[in-house]
Parts: sequence; structure tokens; C-alpha cells
Amino acid sequence: MAVKEFLIEEWGNLRELRYLQIDYNPARCIGCWQCYEVCPIGLWAPDFEHRVAKFTGPKGCVACRACVLQCPEEAIHLRVQKN
Amino acid sequence: MATVFMKWLETSPGDYDRGIQLLTWGRLQPLKERIAANFIQPEMQVLEIGCGTGTLSLLMARRGAHVTAIDASVGMLAEAERKAADAGLSEAITFHNLDVTELSDHFEPGRFDVVVSTLAFSEFPPEVRRFALNEAAQLLNPDGRLLIADEMVPAGFWAKLLFWLVRLPLVIVTWLLTRTTTTPLRDFLQTVAQCGFVPAVSESHLGGSLQLITARPVAGAEPAQKLWQAVPRLRHRVTLKTLLLDVWSYTNRISPPYAKQATGLYRIGHPTPKSPVLLTGNYELTVRRLVRQLDGNVDCWLVVANSRGINVWCAAGGGHFSAEDVISALKTSGVADVVTHHALILPQLCANGVDGWKIRRETGWGVHWGPVRAADIPAYLAAGRKKSLDMRHVAFPLKDRFEMATAMNVFYGIILAVVGVIFWRSHTLAVLAAMTVLGYVYGIFQPWLPGRDGLEKGIGLSAATLLGLWIWSWQWANLPPVTLFNWSLGLGVLAFFIGAEFQGMNPLLRGEQANWTIEGVVGLATLALYGAGQLWM
Repeated sequence: MAVKEFLIEEWGNLRELRYLQIDYNPARCIGCWQCYEVCPIGLWAPDFEHRVAKFTGPKGCVACRACVLQCPEEAIHLRVQKN
Repeated sequence: MATVFMKWLETSPGDYDRGIQLLTWGRLQPLKERIAANFIQPEMQVLEIGCGTGTLSLLMARRGAHVTAIDASVGMLAEAERKAADAGLSEAITFHNLDVTELSDHFEPGRFDVVVSTLAFSEFPPEVRRFALNEAAQLLNPDGRLLIADEMVPAGFWAKLLFWLVRLPLVIVTWLLTRTTTTPLRDFLQTVAQCGFVPAVSESHLGGSLQLITARPVAGAEPAQKLWQAVPRLRHRVTLKTLLLDVWSYTNRISPPYAKQATGLYRIGHPTPKSPVLLTGNYELTVRRLVRQLDGNVDCWLVVANSRGINVWCAAGGGHFSAEDVISALKTSGVADVVTHHALILPQLCANGVDGWKIRRETGWGVHWGPVRAADIPAYLAAGRKKSLDMRHVAFPLKDRFEMATAMNVFYGIILAVVGVIFWRSHTLAVLAAMTVLGYVYGIFQPWLPGRDGLEKGIGLSAATLLGLWIWSWQWANLPPVTLFNWSLGLGVLAFFIGAEFQGMNPLLRGEQANWTIEGVVGLATLALYGAGQLWM
């Protein structure tokens, strides 16, 4: 039984890793652009006009959480999303 | 010798005291009792650095002292608090979960009559020892006393020889059990004297390898300033040692031990007080590759922080390298003494675990995220800390894929070779050859294999391999069915494993170590299929 539960949990972790996506709330952004500074894939871009960060799409996100950790306003989260 | 086992003992606080008693040949407990009896008076304010399970704190509290005890380990403190509560001494002792570098943030100068520490200083790297001693000098009142009992390298040739003869086997055994080791203190009396104390050896045991040092602060002594002349210089050199380290890093990229760079402050070239300050982890290969790119191109200061000998991205992602480690390195390295600015350049790839705002808040240093690759640092600095888009992005070019495929092939090759030679001698070479070829083919072609992760790419590689095998058998080799079945199973599962294992080495795929369970299940299923196949055919 323990084996079965372990396997189910592991499978869940694997699914979670696969479906984690950036959840961004631009209303909270103060334009410090730390996310842009740290993203190793280049998913963030500075919007100089409105002084906020733009999320350019989830393609290639490695779920490293750098932008989540560096955001001082907690405007960025990584959540399991299926679409 | 005792501290060799301490890292191991630290994992089980309950056994800690018994273990230490054994390891110091029974000398430490009476030593602690004598410390309490000879140096502690009622109503004294005492600070214990690294209290462990609180044995000494309890002894001192029984003498009527007010004890403040700090330890970096939550598990140890829990055990200490339990013991204090059992003895009814909870009132007399305050426990704090603090690192030694945080002392001055929590206690005002001149607050303590005694600062005491047993078997803790030998666990600190040298620059942390100096920092802690300077802090102790500030925290003691002018008539106060510093007491340190610790493991030392004894003076004198025969004593040293005997010490290492006894210590070496212990180091090996400890490393095998825990993959950690400790450094007994060398010339510690001199270090204490340099940090504003007049020290003396009060007791010496086990041929000088366990000593009690007592020291009084020198009136009006200022903490020693770091002199730039004293900062060691790192240069790019290719020697037999670096070549051997390269071989080690190629074969041993996957599992510890990794070669480590000593933590602390270094200079590259001839930096001035205005030169930039870079910080990185203490993975030897990281530091060497950084120095190769910078030496001769840039004059700068380099702070090597404790990332547990792991590269910064993996260490930060795995919780082994955090803002606390950076803050501690900023304080203990003395870098603030040699520069006039407060601009710190961190590797961009440690941003997944190092909280930049915490460093800005707690130290006042400005945090700048440098480029991903060390080779871009000279251009980044020349442009006034401006990163081009290129410098921000992680890539996994053919050169890196080749390097990672080599690391994987050598590591698993050694394991397979050992297992093969024992159980399956006739097929070992064939399996190794198949793995080498598949590893490199995968390394070269994996960006074009379909799939979001290593598992899916592994299935792709597996399918391609099987297709090739079957076409070859059908057109040319005409293998007998049993052979074809066995080869299909073996090559198919090998290709799948290579894909799954390579996931953790690919910076463009998610996660690491996520596939082990799946690999285990696939491996067992393959064994079952193989068994069923043999019975049926």
C-alpha cells in the first residue's frame, strides 16, 4: 500500500512540474524589472512607457522560480494550470 | 578528532552527547565541568557560541549564570531546550537560533562577562573564525573573558604525525558516511591574538589535539581591518593539479564530492577600492572558469561564498545557497574594508534561490545580476553593468551538450562496468559501447527530439533506436527472435534511461531528479518482460 501511495505522489509531483505556469498580476507591478533581470529564458520584458514588466508568454519556462523570488510585490506566482 | 564525527552526529541530537563523550576519549565532559567550575560565577552574563545540545549551558546555568546560547542547528536547539526544561533551568538560559555572523545584530557591545565555545570554531571557515573573534571582542566587557575549547593541530613533529595517523582513517570513514569533513584549527592562538585578545593555553589534552584557550580582550583594540595587500590573488594557470581537477570534474559531475574553493575574499588582477565586487559559489570549477575569463581582462574583487561546493544554479534551486550565505560572506570576507562602494554583482543564475531584496535590506549593498556566462563579464563591466539580451539567456550549445554527455557516460559507465564485470562479463563491453554511442547521439540531437521533458525525449530516442535495430536486423543481420527480443529490451530501456537522466543536465528542461521513480518502474517492468520472454521462448 505504501508503495502505491508513494508512486501516486511521485506521479503527482511529475504532473505538477509539467503544468506549473506563471501567474502574473500586472496591477501589482511597480516596475523594478527584477524579473527581467533574472529570467534565464527571456520571458519578461520592460514596458518603459507604463513602467511595468510585460510577461511575453509561457513558452520555454523552466519553472526555476527566479522571477517569483525576486518580485518584491508578490505579483508573480507559479501555479499548476491546465489549458 | 571529535569534530570529524560531529557533522554525522549532528543529524541525531539524541546521540550527540554520548558520541562526543566517546570521540574525545571522555575528555570533553570533565573539561566542560571545569570550565563551569573555574570560570563561571553566579549572576555572570555568559554567551555560548554553538551550544549544541546545551550540556555546557546547563552546567553554567547551575552555577547561577545567565546564559545566552546560540546554535545554527534547529534540531540541536530543540534538544537543548528539552534538556533545560527537564532540569528546570529554562529561566536561566535563553536559546537563539542564530548564525555566528548575526551576533552583533542581536546583542549590544560589552554585554557579556564570558564568551565560551566548545568544538564550534573548528567548524567555521577561517574568515568566519576571525569574524566571530572580532565580534566576541566587541561583545565582551573590558574585564570579560573568552574561553574556547577545540580541536587543534598539535605543535611538534611527532605529535603532528601521531595526530594525522589517528585522524586520517577517521576522516575517510566520516567522509564515506556523510561526505563531509572538518578542519582542526591551526595556529589558532595567533589568530586569537590578531583579533584583539591576549590568549593563553589553559589546558591541553590528547597530545595537544584538544585544548582550552582562555583570552582577555586588549583594551581599546579595534577590529582588524582587511588590508588589500593581504587578499590572495587568483590567477589563471594550467598545471598538473588543474588538469587532474578537470578529469575529476568530468567524471564526477553528477555526485559529490566536488572540489571546493576556500571561501573568502580574493582579488583578480590589481583591483582598487573602486573596482567591482563579484560574488560566486565555492564550486572549484566555477571559480576556475571565472578566473580564466577574468584574469588579464578585468581588475576586480571576488567573494567566494559557501554554496556547499555546488554550482550556483543547482545550489540555489536546491536550497543550498541563499541570501543568508551571501550576507554571511559579505560580512566575514571583509570586502567592505577594501572597497569604497557598495555595489555587489551576483551571478544571474543564483536568482532562483538568493533573495536579492533581503540582501539589499539587511546589508545596504546594491544587488546587480550579472550575466549568465562568465565569458560575458568583461563586456558587461565595460558597458557599465549593462547586459545585452544575449548575456541574459541560458543556452545549451553543442559544446555544453557534449560535455554533459561525457560526464554522464563516464559516471554511469563506471557503475555499469563494475556491475557488468561482476555479474555479466561477456556483455559488459557491448553495453558500454551502446551507452557511449547513445549518450553522444542523444547529446547531439536532443534539441530536435520531440517532447517537453527527458521522459518524452527518452521515449523518442528509444523508438528511434528500436527502429534502427529492427531495420538492421530485417535487412542485413537477420537476428534470431530471442536475440532480437533481448536486444530490443536492453537498447530500448538504455535509450529511455539516457533521455530521463539527461533531463537534470539540461538547463532548458524543468526540474531535476524528478524521473527516478519512473526509471525504477520502467527498469522493473523491463526485468519482468525479460524474464517472461526467456520462459516463453
